[in-house]
Amino acid sequence: MEYFKKIFKESVLIVIISSIIGLFSGTFLSVNKQVLYSFPIILLILPALNSLIGDISTVLTSRLSSHLYLGNIPPKIQKTEFLKKDFFGLLITILLSLIALIIIGYAVGFATNIRIVNPLFIISIMLLTMLILFGIMFILLFAGSVILFRKGLDPNNFLIPITTSLLDFLTPLFMIVFIYLFT
Amino acid sequence: MDWKDEKWKITKEVFPSEIISIIGDIFAGIILTILILPFKSFLILILIVPALLSMRGNLSGPFIARTSRDIIIGEFNFKSWFENVLATYALSLVIGFLLGLFGILLNYFIVKVFIITTEILLLIPVYSILFTITITMPFSTALNIIVFRRGLDPNNVVNPIMTAVGDFFSVLCFYITIIMLGVP
Repeated sequence: MEYFKKIFKESVLIVIISSIIGLFSGTFLSVNKQVLYSFPIILLILPALNSLIGDISTVLTSRLSSHLYLGNIPPKIQKTEFLKKDFFGLLITILLSLIALIIIGYAVGFATNIRIVNPLFIISIMLLTMLILFGIMFILLFAGSVILFRKGLDPNNFLIPITTSLLDFLTPLFMIVFIYLFT
Repeated sequence: MDWKDEKWKITKEVFPSEIISIIGDIFAGIILTILILPFKSFLILILIVPALLSMRGNLSGPFIARTSRDIIIGEFNFKSWFENVLATYALSLVIGFLLGLFGILLNYFIVKVFIITTEILLLIPVYSILFTITITMPFSTALNIIVFRRGLDPNNVVNPIMTAVGDFFSVLCFYITIIMLGVP
């Protein structure tokens, strides 16, 4: 039962912390419900947006962990070919997915008679939020994976739960802050 | 393989899964609104739902990633899978219980709607998470194996697909749980 113990021991604290972060996310949305009422499309798109950046971060962590275990990337904070491939591959993916998300989201919005307010502004806010979050997460996840791997820990157990919850909080936070800044 | 080809390989493998994930999440949102909104206790239930969806990702995300890695590095076997499953169940119980406690506290101090008993409020997240992972863990394992056997990288494909599947089943299992517990 060593594998069981390792997973439980490495994951329990981080999952508890991320559940607390999840509560902040709900509270933040409630406090700023007037922004969500002004731009109701955000309410429809937000779960998919959270999911998109969360998925990309999970894919990245998972890939980095496999690269480190296979020895494809050294456990050092330095630029490598594998890292560049992952960066550009995932950047293109997030941009294409965001375009798809906007098309599907707005189509569903039209179909369900959701009020569409200033779509170009909201699309720009979404793009800005996703690009900034992707940049931040790429650096943090790479550094985090290397540090954890060096300590003999599995980056999957720590980074995936914490980034999922952190992004569930940061995505609406960045969007609402940008809406306040640019209106 | 040239690095430009590898870059497009990532996009080619992740993007279709991501489309499924986006559609699934938008549908999960619509289903959630239709199923949960009519409940009298909606204000309390909506406290738990976002955290529950987030926790589903936090439990099954690492489970899938560990399975993918074990398959890729050639260490996947029944024993490692069983211990992975057992650890995910153990974590689910702890987190479900904590979410229930948080729900009770938030309701007591902020929402102040007292139409669900404390016991039921504690059981909703526990049952919901357990039902969801019972369905999604075998599903994601099978998907991991199939994807790997087809020569694709499970890291790129399985997690985005399972986000959509998991979110859909989270909503469905949450609905089944509240019906089962007789939540008004």
